[in-house]
Amino acid sequence: MTSLPVHILRFVLFILIQVFILNQIEIGWGILPMIYPLMIFLVPIETNIVGLFGLSLVMGLIIDMLSNTFGLHTSSLLLFAYLRPWIFQRFAPREDYEANKEANYFTMGRSWFIYTYGSLIALHHFWFFLFEVADLGSIFYVLQKTLLTVPLSFLLAVGIQIIFVKKPKER
Amino acid sequence: MKQLIQFFKRFQIFLLFAAFQFLALSSYFSSLSFPRSQFLTTANGIAGSMWKVQYNFMKFVRLEETNDQLVQANKTLMEKLPESYVKLSRNTVSIDDTVFRQHYSYMPATVINSTFGKANNFLTLNIGKKVGIERGMGVFNERGIVGIVHSVSRHFAIVKSVLSDNINIDVMIENQADDIDNGEAFGLLKWETRDPRVVNINGISNDLSIDSNAAVVTRGGGGIFPRGLPVGRIYDVQSIEGKPLWDVQVQLGVDFRSLQKVYVIKNLLKEEQENLEAQAEEND
Repeated sequence: MTSLPVHILRFVLFILIQVFILNQIEIGWGILPMIYPLMIFLVPIETNIVGLFGLSLVMGLIIDMLSNTFGLHTSSLLLFAYLRPWIFQRFAPREDYEANKEANYFTMGRSWFIYTYGSLIALHHFWFFLFEVADLGSIFYVLQKTLLTVPLSFLLAVGIQIIFVKKPKER
Repeated sequence: MKQLIQFFKRFQIFLLFAAFQFLALSSYFSSLSFPRSQFLTTANGIAGSMWKVQYNFMKFVRLEETNDQLVQANKTLMEKLPESYVKLSRNTVSIDDTVFRQHYSYMPATVINSTFGKANNFLTLNIGKKVGIERGMGVFNERGIVGIVHSVSRHFAIVKSVLSDNINIDVMIENQADDIDNGEAFGLLKWETRDPRVVNINGISNDLSIDSNAAVVTRGGGGIFPRGLPVGRIYDVQSIEGKPLWDVQVQLGVDFRSLQKVYVIKNLLKEEQENLEAQAEEND
């Protein structure tokens, strides 16, 4: 179990990385890698959904405040939180898992993580870019942005976990 | 029965989700078109201060570039001084300047946060209401127009940059002197290319001939920008199928990827102009 100070530190760091680094590097082709949804993902698997909503609301509003998006990040993060339990159940492995365990790359196993985080982040990005562009005529532009950004965000999330998350001891 | 309770429980969560979602999205869409509160923007004091700290870290990286820009601006200004003109006739009488009345005044500002790759782009300036910045003022630098002030707080201002939807600035294409048949072509500036260097002009009829590389300047309608501020140069002109209009692309003078020093335009006669225009509408 990760302790509360670690969660708080993670919360602050993800916001700072998102706002002051990722939002600032303009790669082109409409790519905008996002790391902050990982915060909502990494809390224990069976966290109450109302708590998840509260967390995404606070986190989203802070990011929106710092990057002039007026509620767009909040909206996408809420979608992420709402779909999280459902996606977890949908792709759950057959053998039992510990419900109060933290959900990360190592505790979940590679394939479960790829399915859950991949699909959640794809939906999050699609929602975000759909409302950012806000024009059904340029739906291909929205898809282009989503398809190009999702792999980057995903790799970023895996990389950060490999470097910073404590690996469980091999048994 | 148990299933029914289960259903309502699930539905409750969906309702909560929908309510939050409604709040977030309505805040997003209403702020895009008409800013009501500064709470969710970088004009808010805490967020603005954080960006100021970030700017102070980063400003040394671009110091040389900023200096070059300022030297350029100084050069153009010095060329406009009376001392740099040669007197052609000894008989001219110096005219007292009360004939002219100042129409626009300019306030220098520093960009402390900016984007150029999003669907709508904003800049944060380090000056605000305290020095008289108001919503709707124009922003430019020596290379071209930058945007229009979108919301202000006491110490900061948010500028909606030319690179956003519905920016609609009045512009005209300057005509070459030898071409008398055509007047200047008027149009509205739009950003449809999603390229931070290129914008479009809408509404130019295709019976006007447009020179490639002609200068595009502001028209001065609406009292936001003075007439004749540079915008950029014509980059490409193509016909739109089925419409008697040109699709005009303009290469921007301003490079939004390295923007530091800008000027905010204060229109000193704005009230007069607005009153007159309101009167004209009433009389109709």
